[in-house]
Amino acid sequence: MTDVALPTDERTDLDLIARWKAGEQRAATLLVQRHAVAVARFVASIGARDDVEEVVQDTFVRAFASLDGFRGESSLRTWLFTIARRLVLDRRRTTRRRGEQVEVHENDAATEYDSLDGVVADETQRRLLGALEKLSPTQREVFVLRVSEGMSYAEIADTVGTTEGAARVHYHHAMRTIKELLDD
Amino acid sequence: MIDCPNGEVRDQLPDYLHDRLESSARMSVERHLADCAVCRDELALLRDLRGTLQRAPRIDVAAVAAAIPAYRPAARKSWASGWRIAAAITVIAVGGTSIALLRRPERPTQVARNTVAAPTSHAPAVGPASLPPVVKQPVPQPEQKVARAEPSAKTAPVPTGEELAMAGGTISDLSDGELSDLIGDLDSLDAVPSTDVESTESLLTGRHRGRHE
Repeated sequence: MTDVALPTDERTDLDLIARWKAGEQRAATLLVQRHAVAVARFVASIGARDDVEEVVQDTFVRAFASLDGFRGESSLRTWLFTIARRLVLDRRRTTRRRGEQVEVHENDAATEYDSLDGVVADETQRRLLGALEKLSPTQREVFVLRVSEGMSYAEIADTVGTTEGAARVHYHHAMRTIKELLDD
Repeated sequence: MIDCPNGEVRDQLPDYLHDRLESSARMSVERHLADCAVCRDELALLRDLRGTLQRAPRIDVAAVAAAIPAYRPAARKSWASGWRIAAAITVIAVGGTSIALLRRPERPTQVARNTVAAPTSHAPAVGPASLPPVVKQPVPQPEQKVARAEPSAKTAPVPTGEELAMAGGTISDLSDGELSDLIGDLDSLDAVPSTDVESTESLLTGRHRGRHE
Protein backbone atom coordinates (compact mmCIF):
# COMPACT_ATOMS: atom_id res chain seq x y z
CA MET A 1 0.00 0.00 0.00
CA THR A 2 1.20 3.50 -0.79
CA ASP A 3 -0.01 4.79 2.56
CA VAL A 4 2.77 2.88 4.28
CA ALA A 5 5.37 5.02 2.51
CA LEU A 6 3.72 8.28 3.52
CA PRO A 7 4.96 10.18 6.57
CA THR A 8 2.57 10.09 9.52
CA ASP A 9 1.56 13.73 9.11
CA GLU A 10 0.53 13.25 5.51
CA ARG A 11 -1.33 10.06 6.33
CA THR A 12 -3.21 11.95 9.02
CA ASP A 13 -4.06 14.71 6.55
CA LEU A 14 -5.45 12.21 4.07
CA ASP A 15 -7.43 10.49 6.83
CA LEU A 16 -8.89 13.80 7.95
CA ILE A 17 -9.81 14.72 4.38
CA ALA A 18 -11.59 11.40 3.97
CA ARG A 19 -13.45 11.94 7.23
CA TRP A 20 -14.52 15.43 6.19
CA LYS A 21 -15.77 14.06 2.88
CA ALA A 22 -17.72 11.48 4.83
CA GLY A 23 -19.56 14.31 6.56
CA GLU A 24 -17.49 14.85 9.68
CA GLN A 25 -17.11 18.62 9.92
CA ARG A 26 -14.82 18.29 12.93
CA ALA A 27 -12.17 16.85 10.61
CA ALA A 28 -12.06 20.18 8.75
CA THR A 29 -11.48 22.00 12.03
CA LEU A 30 -8.62 19.65 12.86
CA LEU A 31 -7.04 20.24 9.47
CA VAL A 32 -7.26 24.00 9.95
CA GLN A 33 -5.73 23.70 13.42
CA ARG A 34 -2.86 21.63 12.03
CA HIS A 35 -1.92 24.04 9.25
CA ALA A 36 -3.39 27.51 9.83
CA VAL A 37 -0.48 28.87 11.88
CA ALA A 38 2.12 27.71 9.35
CA VAL A 39 0.10 29.21 6.50
CA ALA A 40 -0.28 32.46 8.46
CA ARG A 41 3.47 32.53 9.12
CA PHE A 42 4.22 32.01 5.46
CA VAL A 43 1.68 34.63 4.33
CA ALA A 44 3.12 37.17 6.76
CA SER A 45 6.70 36.42 5.79
CA ILE A 46 6.08 36.99 2.09
CA GLY A 47 4.62 40.41 2.73
CA ALA A 48 0.85 40.22 3.32
CA ARG A 49 1.00 41.44 6.91
CA ASP A 50 -2.10 43.59 6.98
CA ASP A 51 -4.58 40.91 6.12
CA VAL A 52 -2.99 37.65 7.16
CA GLU A 53 -6.18 36.20 8.66
CA GLU A 54 -8.22 37.08 5.58
CA VAL A 55 -5.69 35.43 3.29
CA VAL A 56 -5.49 32.37 5.52
CA GLN A 57 -9.28 32.06 5.57
CA ASP A 58 -9.51 32.45 1.79
CA THR A 59 -6.78 29.85 1.42
CA PHE A 60 -8.67 27.24 3.45
CA VAL A 61 -12.04 28.01 1.86
CA ARG A 62 -10.55 27.62 -1.61
CA ALA A 63 -8.60 24.54 -0.65
CA PHE A 64 -11.63 22.78 0.82
CA ALA A 65 -13.77 23.81 -2.15
CA SER A 66 -11.37 22.03 -4.48
CA LEU A 67 -10.22 19.15 -2.31
CA ASP A 68 -11.61 16.74 -4.92
CA GLY A 69 -8.75 17.94 -7.13
CA PHE A 70 -6.12 17.24 -4.46
CA ARG A 71 -4.49 13.96 -5.38
CA GLY A 72 -1.98 13.85 -2.55
CA GLU A 73 0.98 14.10 -4.93
CA SER A 74 2.41 16.81 -2.70
CA SER A 75 1.74 17.29 0.98
CA LEU A 76 -1.42 19.14 1.97
CA ARG A 77 0.72 21.87 3.53
CA THR A 78 2.64 22.43 0.28
CA TRP A 79 -0.68 22.62 -1.55
CA LEU A 80 -2.04 25.14 0.98
CA PHE A 81 1.11 27.24 0.64
CA THR A 82 0.71 27.23 -3.13
CA ILE A 83 -2.86 28.54 -2.84
CA ALA A 84 -1.85 31.11 -0.21
CA ARG A 85 1.03 32.35 -2.35
CA ARG A 86 -1.27 32.78 -5.34
CA LEU A 87 -3.72 34.78 -3.21
CA VAL A 88 -0.95 37.03 -1.91
CA LEU A 89 0.30 37.66 -5.44
CA ASP A 90 -3.25 38.46 -6.61
CA ARG A 91 -3.66 40.94 -3.78
CA ARG A 92 -0.29 42.49 -4.55
CA ARG A 93 -1.34 42.94 -8.18
CA THR A 94 -4.65 44.52 -7.14
CA THR A 95 -2.87 46.87 -4.77
CA ARG A 96 -0.39 47.84 -7.48
CA ARG A 97 -3.24 48.51 -9.91
CA ARG A 98 -4.82 50.82 -7.35
CA GLY A 99 -1.49 52.61 -7.11
CA GLU A 100 -1.12 51.97 -3.42
CA GLN A 101 2.40 51.79 -2.12
CA VAL A 102 3.22 48.92 0.18
CA GLU A 103 6.07 49.88 2.41
CA VAL A 104 7.83 47.55 4.71
CA HIS A 105 9.04 48.89 8.02
CA GLU A 106 11.55 47.17 10.20
CA ASN A 107 9.39 48.10 13.18
CA ASP A 108 6.71 45.80 11.79
CA ALA A 109 8.44 43.10 13.77
CA ALA A 110 7.36 44.70 17.02
CA THR A 111 4.01 46.12 15.93
CA GLU A 112 2.48 43.48 13.71
CA TYR A 113 3.65 40.32 15.36
CA ASP A 114 2.94 38.92 18.73
CA SER A 115 5.37 36.21 19.57
CA LEU A 116 3.75 33.33 21.38
CA ASP A 117 6.41 33.12 24.03
CA GLY A 118 6.32 36.83 24.75
CA VAL A 119 9.86 37.51 23.61
CA VAL A 120 10.24 41.13 22.67
CA ALA A 121 11.78 41.70 19.26
CA ASP A 122 15.31 42.67 20.12
CA GLU A 123 18.01 44.31 18.07
CA THR A 124 19.26 41.00 16.62
CA GLN A 125 15.80 40.08 15.39
CA ARG A 126 15.33 43.50 13.86
CA ARG A 127 18.57 43.09 12.00
CA LEU A 128 17.58 39.63 10.81
CA LEU A 129 14.19 40.86 9.62
CA GLY A 130 15.86 43.84 7.99
CA ALA A 131 18.16 41.49 6.10
CA LEU A 132 15.25 39.29 5.04
CA GLU A 133 13.43 42.35 3.71
CA LYS A 134 16.37 43.11 1.43
CA LEU A 135 15.93 39.82 -0.43
CA SER A 136 14.06 39.69 -3.69
CA PRO A 137 10.47 38.38 -3.34
CA THR A 138 11.38 34.99 -4.83
CA GLN A 139 14.52 34.66 -2.74
CA ARG A 140 12.52 35.47 0.39
CA GLU A 141 9.80 32.95 -0.45
CA VAL A 142 12.33 30.23 -1.08
CA PHE A 143 14.37 31.09 2.00
CA VAL A 144 11.32 31.20 4.29
CA LEU A 145 10.04 27.85 3.02
CA ARG A 146 13.47 26.27 3.42
CA VAL A 147 14.48 27.73 6.78
CA SER A 148 11.19 28.34 8.54
CA GLU A 149 9.14 25.42 7.20
CA GLY A 150 11.98 22.99 6.49
CA MET A 151 10.70 22.16 3.02
CA SER A 152 12.79 20.22 0.53
CA TYR A 153 13.80 21.90 -2.72
CA ALA A 154 11.25 19.75 -4.56
CA GLU A 155 8.44 20.98 -2.30
CA ILE A 156 9.63 24.57 -2.66
CA ALA A 157 9.75 24.19 -6.43
CA ASP A 158 6.12 22.97 -6.35
CA THR A 159 4.99 25.84 -4.18
CA VAL A 160 6.81 28.66 -5.92
CA GLY A 161 6.44 27.26 -9.44
CA THR A 162 10.09 26.81 -10.27
CA THR A 163 12.65 24.02 -10.57
CA GLU A 164 14.56 22.33 -7.79
CA GLY A 165 17.82 23.68 -9.18
CA ALA A 166 16.52 27.23 -9.30
CA ALA A 167 15.17 26.90 -5.75
CA ARG A 168 18.59 25.73 -4.56
CA VAL A 169 20.31 28.69 -6.26
CA HIS A 170 17.78 31.14 -4.75
CA TYR A 171 18.37 29.70 -1.29
CA HIS A 172 22.16 29.98 -1.47
CA HIS A 173 22.03 33.50 -2.94
CA ALA A 174 19.66 34.52 -0.16
CA MET A 175 21.93 33.03 2.48
CA ARG A 176 24.96 34.86 1.07
CA THR A 177 23.04 38.17 0.93
CA ILE A 178 21.91 37.82 4.53
CA LYS A 179 25.45 37.04 5.71
CA GLU A 180 26.81 40.08 3.85
CA LEU A 181 24.14 42.37 5.26
CA LEU A 182 24.73 41.15 8.80
CA ASP A 183 28.51 41.59 8.42
CA ASP A 184 28.12 45.27 7.46
CA MET B 1 31.03 35.58 7.44
CA ILE B 2 32.66 33.21 4.95
CA ASP B 3 31.23 30.11 3.27
CA CYS B 4 32.43 26.59 3.95
CA PRO B 5 33.72 24.92 0.78
CA ASN B 6 31.65 21.82 1.61
CA GLY B 7 28.53 22.73 -0.37
CA GLU B 8 26.82 19.44 0.29
CA VAL B 9 26.78 19.94 4.05
CA ARG B 10 25.75 23.59 3.72
CA ASP B 11 22.88 22.44 1.55
CA GLN B 12 21.75 20.00 4.24
CA LEU B 13 21.90 22.38 7.20
CA PRO B 14 18.21 23.46 6.99
CA ASP B 15 17.20 19.78 6.80
CA TYR B 16 19.42 19.07 9.82
CA LEU B 17 17.76 21.98 11.63
CA HIS B 18 14.31 20.50 10.98
CA ASP B 19 15.47 16.95 11.72
CA ARG B 20 14.58 15.82 8.22
CA LEU B 21 17.76 13.88 7.48
CA GLU B 22 18.09 10.15 7.52
CA SER B 23 20.38 8.82 10.24
CA SER B 24 23.41 8.28 8.00
CA ALA B 25 23.20 11.79 6.52
CA ARG B 26 22.59 13.30 9.96
CA MET B 27 25.69 11.59 11.35
CA SER B 28 27.73 12.78 8.40
CA VAL B 29 26.63 16.39 9.00
CA GLU B 30 27.34 16.10 12.72
CA ARG B 31 30.85 14.82 12.01
CA HIS B 32 31.47 17.80 9.73
CA LEU B 33 30.05 20.26 12.25
CA ALA B 34 32.39 18.97 14.92
CA ASP B 35 35.37 20.10 12.83
CA CYS B 36 33.95 23.15 10.98
CA ALA B 37 33.41 26.38 12.88
CA VAL B 38 32.09 28.14 9.75
CA CYS B 39 29.26 25.63 9.41
CA ARG B 40 28.53 25.82 13.12
CA ASP B 41 28.15 29.61 12.74
CA GLU B 42 25.88 29.16 9.73
CA LEU B 43 23.74 26.66 11.64
CA ALA B 44 23.44 29.12 14.54
CA LEU B 45 22.37 31.86 12.11
CA LEU B 46 19.78 29.56 10.56
CA ARG B 47 18.44 28.77 14.04
CA ASP B 48 18.06 32.49 14.79
CA LEU B 49 16.40 33.17 11.44
CA ARG B 50 14.02 30.29 11.97
CA GLY B 51 13.12 31.63 15.41
CA THR B 52 12.52 35.08 13.97
CA LEU B 53 10.44 33.80 11.07
CA GLN B 54 8.39 31.45 13.19
CA ARG B 55 6.91 34.07 15.43
CA ALA B 56 3.28 33.56 14.69
CA PRO B 57 1.00 36.37 13.56
CA ARG B 58 -2.26 36.46 15.46
CA ILE B 59 -5.09 34.70 13.71
CA ASP B 60 -8.40 33.33 14.90
CA VAL B 61 -8.10 29.69 13.96
CA ALA B 62 -11.66 28.94 15.12
CA ALA B 63 -13.03 31.63 12.82
CA VAL B 64 -11.07 30.22 9.90
CA ALA B 65 -12.38 26.73 10.65
CA ALA B 66 -15.95 28.02 10.95
CA ALA B 67 -15.77 29.38 7.41
CA ILE B 68 -15.20 25.92 5.95
CA PRO B 69 -18.44 24.64 4.39
CA ALA B 70 -19.63 21.06 4.59
CA TYR B 71 -18.38 18.76 1.85
CA ARG B 72 -20.42 18.70 -1.34
CA PRO B 73 -19.26 16.26 -3.98
CA ALA B 74 -18.71 17.78 -7.39
CA ALA B 75 -21.51 16.93 -9.84
CA ARG B 76 -20.33 14.17 -12.15
CA LYS B 77 -20.82 14.45 -15.88
CA SER B 78 -23.05 11.66 -17.11
CA TRP B 79 -22.68 10.11 -20.55
CA ALA B 80 -26.05 11.66 -21.45
CA SER B 81 -24.71 15.16 -20.84
CA GLY B 82 -21.73 14.32 -23.06
CA TRP B 83 -24.08 13.33 -25.89
CA ARG B 84 -26.10 16.48 -25.34
CA ILE B 85 -22.96 18.59 -25.76
CA ALA B 86 -21.97 16.69 -28.92
CA ALA B 87 -25.48 17.14 -30.38
CA ALA B 88 -25.43 20.86 -29.60
CA ILE B 89 -22.05 21.27 -31.32
CA THR B 90 -23.33 19.40 -34.40
CA VAL B 91 -26.47 21.56 -34.64
CA ILE B 92 -24.42 24.74 -34.32
CA ALA B 93 -21.92 23.56 -36.95
CA VAL B 94 -24.61 22.51 -39.46
CA GLY B 95 -26.66 25.65 -38.87
CA GLY B 96 -23.66 27.91 -39.20
CA THR B 97 -22.56 26.26 -42.44
CA SER B 98 -26.08 26.53 -43.90
CA ILE B 99 -26.33 30.21 -43.06
CA ALA B 100 -22.88 30.83 -44.51
CA LEU B 101 -23.85 29.08 -47.75
CA LEU B 102 -27.15 30.95 -48.04
CA ARG B 103 -25.51 34.31 -47.47
CA ARG B 104 -22.64 33.67 -49.86
CA PRO B 105 -22.78 36.06 -52.87
CA GLU B 106 -23.01 34.45 -56.32
CA ARG B 107 -19.45 35.14 -57.22
CA PRO B 108 -18.72 32.32 -59.65
CA THR B 109 -21.12 33.79 -62.30
CA GLN B 110 -19.59 37.23 -61.98
CA VAL B 111 -16.13 35.81 -62.24
CA ALA B 112 -17.06 33.91 -65.38
CA ARG B 113 -18.45 37.08 -66.95
CA ASN B 114 -15.41 39.09 -66.05
CA THR B 115 -13.19 36.43 -67.52
CA VAL B 116 -14.97 36.62 -70.84
CA ALA B 117 -15.09 40.41 -70.78
CA ALA B 118 -11.39 40.72 -70.11
CA PRO B 119 -9.68 41.82 -73.30
CA THR B 120 -6.78 39.40 -73.18
CA SER B 121 -9.01 36.35 -72.78
CA HIS B 122 -10.46 36.73 -76.27
CA ALA B 123 -7.36 36.05 -78.23
CA PRO B 124 -7.07 32.28 -77.86
CA ALA B 125 -10.77 31.78 -78.61
CA VAL B 126 -10.94 33.70 -81.85
CA GLY B 127 -7.50 33.63 -83.29
CA PRO B 128 -6.27 30.99 -85.68
CA ALA B 129 -4.00 28.37 -84.20
CA SER B 130 -0.98 29.89 -85.88
CA LEU B 131 -1.37 33.27 -84.20
CA PRO B 132 0.76 33.77 -81.15
CA PRO B 133 -1.30 34.33 -78.03
CA VAL B 134 -1.78 38.02 -77.42
CA VAL B 135 -1.36 37.71 -73.65
CA LYS B 136 2.27 36.68 -74.00
CA GLN B 137 3.29 39.87 -75.75
CA PRO B 138 4.96 42.61 -73.74
CA VAL B 139 2.41 45.16 -72.72
CA PRO B 140 3.95 48.61 -72.54
CA GLN B 141 1.06 50.41 -70.78
CA PRO B 142 -1.24 47.88 -69.21
CA GLU B 143 -3.18 50.41 -67.16
CA GLN B 144 -4.10 52.46 -70.19
CA LYS B 145 -5.13 49.37 -72.08
CA VAL B 146 -7.50 48.28 -69.37
CA ALA B 147 -8.93 51.78 -69.19
CA ARG B 148 -9.59 51.71 -72.91
CA ALA B 149 -11.14 48.28 -72.91
CA GLU B 150 -13.96 49.23 -70.58
CA PRO B 151 -15.51 52.09 -72.56
CA SER B 152 -15.53 49.95 -75.71
CA ALA B 153 -17.35 47.27 -73.78
CA LYS B 154 -20.01 49.84 -73.00
CA THR B 155 -20.43 51.21 -76.50
CA ALA B 156 -20.18 47.90 -78.37
CA PRO B 157 -21.06 44.91 -76.22
CA VAL B 158 -18.33 42.35 -76.15
CA PRO B 159 -19.59 38.98 -77.37
CA THR B 160 -19.76 36.18 -74.87
CA GLY B 161 -17.80 32.97 -75.35
CA GLU B 162 -20.86 31.28 -76.79
CA GLU B 163 -21.38 34.03 -79.33
CA LEU B 164 -17.77 33.93 -80.29
CA ALA B 165 -17.88 30.19 -80.87
CA MET B 166 -20.89 30.57 -83.13
CA ALA B 167 -19.39 33.52 -84.96
CA GLY B 168 -15.97 32.04 -85.39
CA GLY B 169 -16.58 28.54 -86.67
CA THR B 170 -13.52 27.04 -88.36
CA ILE B 171 -11.38 27.94 -91.35
CA SER B 172 -13.10 25.28 -93.42
CA ASP B 173 -16.39 27.21 -93.07
CA LEU B 174 -14.95 30.14 -95.03
CA SER B 175 -15.47 30.48 -98.75
CA ASP B 176 -12.46 30.75 -101.07
CA GLY B 177 -12.94 34.51 -101.36
CA GLU B 178 -13.17 35.02 -97.65
CA LEU B 179 -10.15 32.84 -97.12
CA SER B 180 -8.06 34.79 -99.58
CA ASP B 181 -9.22 38.05 -97.94
CA LEU B 182 -8.16 36.71 -94.57
CA ILE B 183 -4.76 35.66 -95.91
CA GLY B 184 -4.38 39.07 -97.43
CA ASP B 185 -5.22 40.67 -94.12
CA LEU B 186 -2.71 38.47 -92.36
CA ASP B 187 -0.02 39.35 -94.88
CA SER B 188 -0.68 43.03 -94.32
CA LEU B 189 -0.10 42.64 -90.55
CA ASP B 190 3.25 43.56 -89.10
CA ALA B 191 5.67 40.78 -88.21
CA VAL B 192 4.87 41.40 -84.59
CA PRO B 193 1.15 41.12 -84.00
CA SER B 194 -0.49 44.14 -82.60
CA THR B 195 -1.02 44.23 -78.88
CA ASP B 196 -4.04 46.42 -79.37
CA VAL B 197 -6.70 43.99 -78.37
CA GLU B 198 -9.50 46.24 -79.41
CA SER B 199 -8.41 46.49 -83.02
CA THR B 200 -7.71 42.75 -83.33
CA GLU B 201 -11.06 42.04 -81.80
CA SER B 202 -12.99 44.30 -84.14
CA LEU B 203 -11.07 42.98 -87.10
CA LEU B 204 -11.99 39.38 -86.43
CA THR B 205 -15.37 39.60 -84.75
CA GLY B 206 -16.61 42.29 -87.12
CA ARG B 207 -15.91 40.20 -90.19
CA HIS B 208 -17.31 36.96 -88.88
CA ARG B 209 -20.30 38.59 -87.34
CA GLY B 210 -21.11 40.29 -90.55
CA ARG B 211 -21.00 36.94 -92.27
CA HIS B 212 -23.44 35.31 -89.91
CA GLU B 213 -25.72 38.30 -89.63
